[in-house]
Amino acid sequence: MKHNFIDRYADLDSPLHQLDARTKLVGFTALIISVLAIRPGSTFVFFAFFFLTAIFMGISQVPLGYILGRSLVLLPFVLLASLARPWRGGIDFAFLSALIMRSVLSLIILVLLTNTTRFAEMMRGLRKLGCPQILTLNLGFLYRYVFVLTEEVLRMRQARDCRSVGRAPAKVELKILGSMLGTLLVRSFERAERLYQAMLSRGYSGDFPVYGSRHFGWRDLVFIVALVPFVLIAFRA
Amino acid sequence: MTEYAVRITRLSYSYPDGVRALEAVDLDVRVGERVAIVGPSGAGKSTLLLHLNGVLSGSGMVRIMGQALEGSDLREVRKHVGLVFQDPHDQLFCPTVFDDVAFGPLSLGVPQGEVSQRVDRALHEVGLDLSMRLRSSHHLSLGECKRVAIATVLAMEPEILALDEPSSNLDPRNRRHLIEVIGNLPVTLLLATHDLEMVLALCSRAVVMDRGRVWADGETRRLFSDRKLMEEHGLEVPLSLRTAVVG
Repeated sequence: MKHNFIDRYADLDSPLHQLDARTKLVGFTALIISVLAIRPGSTFVFFAFFFLTAIFMGISQVPLGYILGRSLVLLPFVLLASLARPWRGGIDFAFLSALIMRSVLSLIILVLLTNTTRFAEMMRGLRKLGCPQILTLNLGFLYRYVFVLTEEVLRMRQARDCRSVGRAPAKVELKILGSMLGTLLVRSFERAERLYQAMLSRGYSGDFPVYGSRHFGWRDLVFIVALVPFVLIAFRA
Repeated sequence: MTEYAVRITRLSYSYPDGVRALEAVDLDVRVGERVAIVGPSGAGKSTLLLHLNGVLSGSGMVRIMGQALEGSDLREVRKHVGLVFQDPHDQLFCPTVFDDVAFGPLSLGVPQGEVSQRVDRALHEVGLDLSMRLRSSHHLSLGECKRVAIATVLAMEPEILALDEPSSNLDPRNRRHLIEVIGNLPVTLLLATHDLEMVLALCSRAVVMDRGRVWADGETRRLFSDRKLMEEHGLEVPLSLRTAVVG
């Protein structure tokens, strides 16, 4: 079974893909924070950021439809959340449009980050930036085993479907679901045990080794320097 | 140089839930020998393998390359013994094939410059293309997974290789390929399996285990032709030996 998770296009080879993971992590995070800092009504700054992300999208070779699709998915939730703000004297359009633009921009940047950096590289970058090992390790295992677990769930569901005729009453369905979840938990627990044994067998002694990867180069410098003016205008506007 | 790679004397082990998995097991394996441990499911084969590098420790004595496991540096022991688990998903826990194969050598403190060479060599030994290095394990076929799993251990350059059911769930072509790969490895081999045809192809000596005990130990063909012994312990005479007897 072929899986595609969040880093579906991370295997491409564009200038953005070639950057060090640390550069992208720092750069894109700075961009997201800047986007959140743009004041409602500063249309020019928003356009500047859309222009910048458009350039990135062009360079990255990741299909445009994919990026936009992923970025718009959350829009309904954003709109719903915006209702939480007490509205006085009608709808504040400047605020609403700023909210939408901020969320879309942030998501585009996030999708770009995850699709130009392999997950393994990203974890390595986080590690090198000082993120605690326990966190990167757990994220790494989650990414590795989410597919194994999904397949296990699918197999269990098939097995259930093979033995059930028609729809059972909701109460029975719930009971079945509960025992399936329980089984899944026990199986995961046992797998974790075996996994730890496999790690021990290969000399694990508390420190997860990381093999060196890309180095900070002139491209990374160009990238960071190019972002500086955008960060500045976002905070000054 | 010690004569014996593995010496196990009166090894017993019970799991925490009280299940008796091993009962006074004796087993000596000479350096360079290829020994199969055969028996039905639940015979204690996997449990025995887990004792070879101290992941489990029962009562009794286990010596690896002349050194008693008890009280010795387990990291040192794990350099000698490479253990390959039955389910490659348990063995391959890193994001990429390269990371997985490099995990062992890096954990053992091999310098980074040498690690890359070792990874290439190990992948080459199991017949995998080097372009595989950056693939994720969950994008591989089961046959490829099994081979990568063996490579992860070969990169540690062990003297003793212990494989748990290496051929289970493989289609005939991948199984044949795996047998070739294992046959070409210059190591002392312990093979826990109930794939008796594979044992005939690889090991001249076999040990029959059942209910945690060793019931027979000897020349593979002789043991496997013994119908009474085989059927008593949940096995059967392999087809290739049966036709030989009839013909």
